[in-house]
Amino acid sequence: MIEFDTVGLRYGHGPEILRDLSFKIEPGSFHFLTGPSGSGKTSLLKLLLLSLKPSRGRVKMFGQDVTDLDQDSLLRMRRHIGIVFQEFRLLDHLTTYENVALPLRVLGRPESAYRANVTELLEWVGLGERMDALPALLSGGEKQRAAIARAVIGRPDILLADEPTGNVDPELSLRLVTLFAELNKMGTTIILATHELPLLDNFKYPRMVLRDGGLSFHG
Amino acid sequence: MAEFRLLRRSRATAIVPERSVAGRTLVLLVAIMTFLFGVTLGGVVLVQKSAIAWSSDVGREVTIQIRPMEGEVMESNLRTAVALALATPGVTAARALSLEESQGLLEPWLGSGVDFSAIAIPRLVVVEIDDPSEADIEKLERDLSAVAGATLDTHAAWRQQLNLMAGTIVVSGLLVLALIVVATVLAIIFATRGTMASNREIVDVLHFIGASNSFIAGEFQGRFLAIGFRGGMVGGIAAVLFFSAVGAAAGGVVPDEASAQLGFLFGRFSLGLDGILGIAAVVPVIAAVTAITSRLTVRRFLTQTS
Repeated sequence: MIEFDTVGLRYGHGPEILRDLSFKIEPGSFHFLTGPSGSGKTSLLKLLLLSLKPSRGRVKMFGQDVTDLDQDSLLRMRRHIGIVFQEFRLLDHLTTYENVALPLRVLGRPESAYRANVTELLEWVGLGERMDALPALLSGGEKQRAAIARAVIGRPDILLADEPTGNVDPELSLRLVTLFAELNKMGTTIILATHELPLLDNFKYPRMVLRDGGLSFHG
Repeated sequence: MAEFRLLRRSRATAIVPERSVAGRTLVLLVAIMTFLFGVTLGGVVLVQKSAIAWSSDVGREVTIQIRPMEGEVMESNLRTAVALALATPGVTAARALSLEESQGLLEPWLGSGVDFSAIAIPRLVVVEIDDPSEADIEKLERDLSAVAGATLDTHAAWRQQLNLMAGTIVVSGLLVLALIVVATVLAIIFATRGTMASNREIVDVLHFIGASNSFIAGEFQGRFLAIGFRGGMVGGIAAVLFFSAVGAAAGGVVPDEASAQLGFLFGRFSLGLDGILGIAAVVPVIAAVTAITSRLTVRRFLTQTS
């Protein structure tokens, strides 16, 4: 599903922050991406989200080399990838329902076609009673569950999460990762970046560890 | 409960929030530009209409001038000239000005009370033409060569000068219109860039969730189209009111006789239906210019930032 071949990344003329990354991610797998702050976790996620192009090497997604794809093709491919951010990045002027429905709305689908799905998903993540609330009125955990719901409403094949538990307490962190685990059981490939090592001990998923620009696999 | 809430959700919130676009300032700017556009367009229409009316009036009349010549009887030459004129195809009337009328024409220059009996003055025959394009003026000119001292004045030089002056004003007006459009486009480009910068987070999120550049541009374009239309309406209505007010004020300030003369010379200060329709047409044009400019600016911004 995802294949990196000697991929390197540098910003401008700066030093290479990711070096010779070569790995394969199988469909339906779950990986934690860890490493110290500044090790390049977010940069690797941006490469996986296709919002950055590698400085060298080849990246294949869904069996297709994405290195030289044009913008429209990248955009079409990005619709198969969901993303969850540490800082939620919900649109403040839209309700929870509208935020979650946004990926379907931008595809031009009529609301009648997705209303039931969005409502069902919001109920599933425990936000059924908070559908009309604006993000400012949601707690950190509610915001993150809304962000997760937004990332999966389009049924992406891959779900990327960048420190999704960074702004919530340990108990909620555990519940959020459990939510990701349930999504994984339904077939979604998940890569979850976090530096909270104690949290990872609760799960037996393999870890991708970034250190000094290189990547190693554990477990 | 959830179903109830969904039922009352009648309209989706705009993805680009209204308050995030420099709305009021831009509406005011577009209104001012539309007003200037409308006033300039109205001025051009007025000048053009007056010039066409002048040219048409002047073109329907030619003058035969008969200079006094020794050995020639003026009254006889006048009668011959009138007869020749009336025999010319396209001529509807021809009338020799009386001696008193001719003297009256000289009074503004020579003053009243001058004894003209000692001066032999040229006499005029006023020839009215129904359709200048069908009148055989060349035949009349040829025929008049038989009348000693007769010359034909078609006012061509005067009409040419008039058309040149009106044409210059119209071209200048069109140049001003073009400059107004350019200034409007530049202002919208700056406003759009500012809006995009302040909505960067929304643009990023839309990109991350797979929105195409054309979808994002469409969301911003919708906002700017509404602003352009609102500003255009305000400016267009203000321009029409301006012409109505100036027309009414001109009629009230200038005495009736002078008003009639001014009206004859410069045309009535009234746009007419075509002028008002012209200004009305400016509104969608300005709205479209606003929307297209913002869309192109957004597309350019997105291409640069993607």
